[in-house]
Amino acid sequence: MKLDETITLLRQGKHVSEETVFVLCLRAQELLMNEANVTHVDTPVTICGDIHGQLHDLLTLFDKSGGVEHNKYIFLGDFVDRGFYSLESFLLLLCYKLRYPDRITMIRGNHETRQITKVYGFYDEIMRKYGNSNVWRYCCEVFDYLSLGAIINGRVFCVHGGLSPDVTTINQIRAIDRKQEVPHEGAMCDLLWSDPDEVNTWSLSPRGAGFLFGKNEVEQFLHTNDFELIARAHQLVMEGYKEMFDGGLVTVWSAPNYCYRCGNVAAVLRIEDTLDRNYMIFEAVPAQDDVGNAIIPTKKPQMDYFL
Amino acid sequence: MDRAVQQTDYDAFSCKISAINKKYLPCQKELEFCEMKGFSELHMAYVHRLKSLNKRAFGKVQRAVQSGLPLMNYGTYLRTVAIDVECKSFLQNAASNSKVQVLNLGCGSDLRMIYFLEQYPHLRWIDLDFAESVSLKAKILRTEEQLKKVVGELRDASETEYVSDRYFLKSCNLNNIEKVLELLTEITDPEVPTLIITECVLCYMDLPKSQALIHKLISLYKSGTWISYDPIGGDDVNDKFGSIMQTNLRESRQLELPTLMVFNSTKKYAQRFEEVSKSTEIETMWQYYVRQVTQEEKNRLKSLQFLDEIEELQLIFSHYVLLKSSW
Repeated sequence: MKLDETITLLRQGKHVSEETVFVLCLRAQELLMNEANVTHVDTPVTICGDIHGQLHDLLTLFDKSGGVEHNKYIFLGDFVDRGFYSLESFLLLLCYKLRYPDRITMIRGNHETRQITKVYGFYDEIMRKYGNSNVWRYCCEVFDYLSLGAIINGRVFCVHGGLSPDVTTINQIRAIDRKQEVPHEGAMCDLLWSDPDEVNTWSLSPRGAGFLFGKNEVEQFLHTNDFELIARAHQLVMEGYKEMFDGGLVTVWSAPNYCYRCGNVAAVLRIEDTLDRNYMIFEAVPAQDDVGNAIIPTKKPQMDYFL
Repeated sequence: MDRAVQQTDYDAFSCKISAINKKYLPCQKELEFCEMKGFSELHMAYVHRLKSLNKRAFGKVQRAVQSGLPLMNYGTYLRTVAIDVECKSFLQNAASNSKVQVLNLGCGSDLRMIYFLEQYPHLRWIDLDFAESVSLKAKILRTEEQLKKVVGELRDASETEYVSDRYFLKSCNLNNIEKVLELLTEITDPEVPTLIITECVLCYMDLPKSQALIHKLISLYKSGTWISYDPIGGDDVNDKFGSIMQTNLRESRQLELPTLMVFNSTKKYAQRFEEVSKSTEIETMWQYYVRQVTQEEKNRLKSLQFLDEIEELQLIFSHYVLLKSSW
């Protein structure tokens, strides 16, 4: 498999053979297998939130933030589902990771599971594009090897969802056997599903899984582990990012005009060597280019308005 | 344009079937308060007939059931239950031995007449929609015994409509207000308390025509209640939901929403009724979800499918409203 050729194809949203996907996923698995549950990354690095198959916006993200040729990135998960190009977005990131292993860190999101992708579009996308589910299975195998978190310069903790009542220290995350489908409860589930909120203590999440956690839990966690920031994604933020709890936690959202209908902007967060935070805001690509050709297909496979 | 609007019936119906399939519907409120017995069975019987009569519409139902996103199921649940409950409340408040009538404008494949006709012997129900929707629905009602039994034996031999003693399924373009008035004058009684339902109907009409419909009907009937469910564009300067919705629907299916950005807030949407009505209440479907759905019911809904995005739910549901206006 020629990596650069595949990257060119993927960037254009073109079809990649089943065989190529198989090899790509296998090589990615070998690479990910050796990563710890929580990986260490040095500054400067750009933190990216949910992508959700919005390939064209992912390309904008790389363009506007300097590109993988010269910069390091941490992706906080939710590469797939909802958008039209889940496969291309996920594979492009895998290709970049294989091509520049130390510049891309990929953390697992709550959508990187068999169960959720069957409901939220990735599975259907593969059936539409390949007529069988093989490619979906290859990708799900990779999902199981994605790491659960990252730590930047020992000071910034990156995770998809948030905290867990079962996790006080990073060592407890290191002890998880992550190579499995995301369980419905427990530490691994919470890291991928929980949300910060104005609550006094651990509370039930309005989602089907995870917990709500508040300022107390965040401060406790930061103090115990000597961190200054939790960077997470998982929740749509209309302004692209949102800091909470006196700057102890930030939500970064990187899918502009989410689901092609929400009208939000997106953001990425660059952590400098000084640990200064620089947010870069970007908007969605237009549905058509300037000569009227569709960039994003408008014949949507699913209905998304109440009519 | 009429065709693009007519086709939205299959979306609404498909969503309802998906919500039934995933057990969002019926809810306890529908079963107990609205007394909608055999809810799933009747809807499935209708789908079964649809399969043999309109393959394209059936295909759409099948696809909806397969994809069935939680957000769509939640929203379908909310609109269906909200309108059912309002409908039941209206009928319950009407004296049990006196006449009452319901006009479901742009009824499409909606089946709520079945339950209420069965419960209220003095109720007359009028379903109006485009000829294509009406003729399909009439065909299904004629051939499906379970449904036919409730709506009553056909009174005339019309192939394309369905008229029994208490049920009138008639084709009519709501944009033609003279025709609407002519037809309603013929089959309804202005003195009888009247419930008018427009569920995603006014949003597809031009401003003067939708306002004419509201004004003329409210002045035609001596007393009544209007229940309307529609999207609103949003009035915040940074809120792009409405303009994106207009673009998406125009580009994907040539569907226009002429007043989405005109009546873009609950306040402005209510104003279109307030000029002619006595009392008007309105809330967004998000407010409805937060205030009217009990914690127990929220927990039940949560257990049906994994919901991935509360923020998205709030954003979308804040752009749909339920209005109740009485005169």
